Amino acid sequence: MLVSFFESVKYVGHLLPISFLRIFLGYYYLEHALLKYRGDYLTRPRIADQMAEWLPASHAPNWFKIFASSTMIPNWQTVAFIVLGLEFAIAISYIVGYVVRPVALLGVLLCVTMLFISGPASEDLYKTFLAIHLILAWVGAGRCLGFDYYFYKRRRGLWW
Amino acid sequence: MKHFVLFIAVVFLTLFLAVLNRTDNAAPSSSLPTVRVFGYASFTGRWGPGPLLKDLFEKTCKCKVEFIEGSDSGILLQRLKIEGESLGADVVVGLDQFDLSKATAEQPWRKLSLGQLDVYDAVRPALANSYFVPYDWGALTFVARRGELVHMPGSLDDLLAPELAKKIALQDPRTSSPGMQFLYWVIRTKGEEEGFRYLQKLMSQIHSFSPTWSTAYGLFTNKQTKLVYSYVTSPLYHETEEKKKDYLALPFTEALPVQFEFVGIPDFCRHCDLAEQFVNLMLSPEGQKIIMEKNYMFPVMKGVMENTPFAPLMNVKTLQQVEILSATEVDRLLRRWTEIRRGELN
Repeated sequence: MLVSFFESVKYVGHLLPISFLRIFLGYYYLEHALLKYRGDYLTRPRIADQMAEWLPASHAPNWFKIFASSTMIPNWQTVAFIVLGLEFAIAISYIVGYVVRPVALLGVLLCVTMLFISGPASEDLYKTFLAIHLILAWVGAGRCLGFDYYFYKRRRGLWW
Repeated sequence: MKHFVLFIAVVFLTLFLAVLNRTDNAAPSSSLPTVRVFGYASFTGRWGPGPLLKDLFEKTCKCKVEFIEGSDSGILLQRLKIEGESLGADVVVGLDQFDLSKATAEQPWRKLSLGQLDVYDAVRPALANSYFVPYDWGALTFVARRGELVHMPGSLDDLLAPELAKKIALQDPRTSSPGMQFLYWVIRTKGEEEGFRYLQKLMSQIHSFSPTWSTAYGLFTNKQTKLVYSYVTSPLYHETEEKKKDYLALPFTEALPVQFEFVGIPDFCRHCDLAEQFVNLMLSPEGQKIIMEKNYMFPVMKGVMENTPFAPLMNVKTLQQVEILSATEVDRLLRRWTEIRRGELN
């Protein structure tokens, strides 16, 4: 598996620049997830506050606003846990290049949610991330400098 | 698929175990009752009066005080409505007069029995409600930096001057209490129809409608705007804390609106007696002094503000009547405001 990890550079070397982008993004998510984990993100209703603050001005569709007010805000601890879990999953997946495609789609989902519940200050950032996640999913960015190459070589298919 | 599901499951399980382990370690060993005070960030935060009131209260109450933080007073009610009892608040701090009808309609509250309060005459009308008691108040106006504007605005119409185009920071009345105060001020001063016509013209002068007072004030202090809607006591804050005399609260020909901040005890309180004691502390001379000095608002009780820099600031022309608008009236005004705002954005 480790041989495949490095061998991938030889066979799918054209993906190498994208792999660096993937690892960088993974590192970014890891840093932010650790910050949240060590801080009070899970114990104080920061995310509920954020939603209550921005939802009235959000461009989110009405069904999302209703869902957020009736389900997400009262269960903010669960939402915070899921967001943090997804951030850790994206971080690990991108850094080691494992199940990058489906995880990138989760990243898209996370970015869309954050776009709906965040203020205009972070709108551009989430839009950029959204585009990057889509590209990583599209090209299968785990195939170069990642463990996905090992599985791709043996199984092929859409998952790698 | 199998790999993906397994990977996600492992990540979440590890996080769950880590959180569980951390929570166990952090579990409080004390068996003292905890009074939970729900308030806006600048009250509960490090720089606000909250921590000092907490220390003062914990000295005598044989209990612990814990703050639940909401970012702005306008957001308190939204969270209270959405989270209700699960919020676990014993005391709610920071509702203003526009929130009271809505708060009473959406939530049962405990009657407060505080006896005769020796308050300023200006505050007396705000005591009419038996579920909420005001703990501070302030007049609102526009704040500018000295020497930055050629003509300092002295009336609402002056705000339409070309010099101020996109240079005024206002708050969104849907989420911020000062934002609602501004809307009310315009309507009260100019009448509803004329007021909304004025607001339509004013839209092009506004840099942005911030969701909270602190965001709008931040735009002003970062010099992104030349005017901000704030309190007459805001310049005193800069003078006392930062030794800066650059800021100026503008006198307007129109009488200024007054904001009262209220405290109340929700009916679902768990430590209701302690909550009432906390309210009493907020109205005591020590509590009022802390609130005045940290919140930069006028105290409601007499005998605290005298011989302080706050006293002369109280002599501004303010709207005489404290009007408690009904929830439907507030909603109707906000709907009209939203229509104008939407029209402006389109």
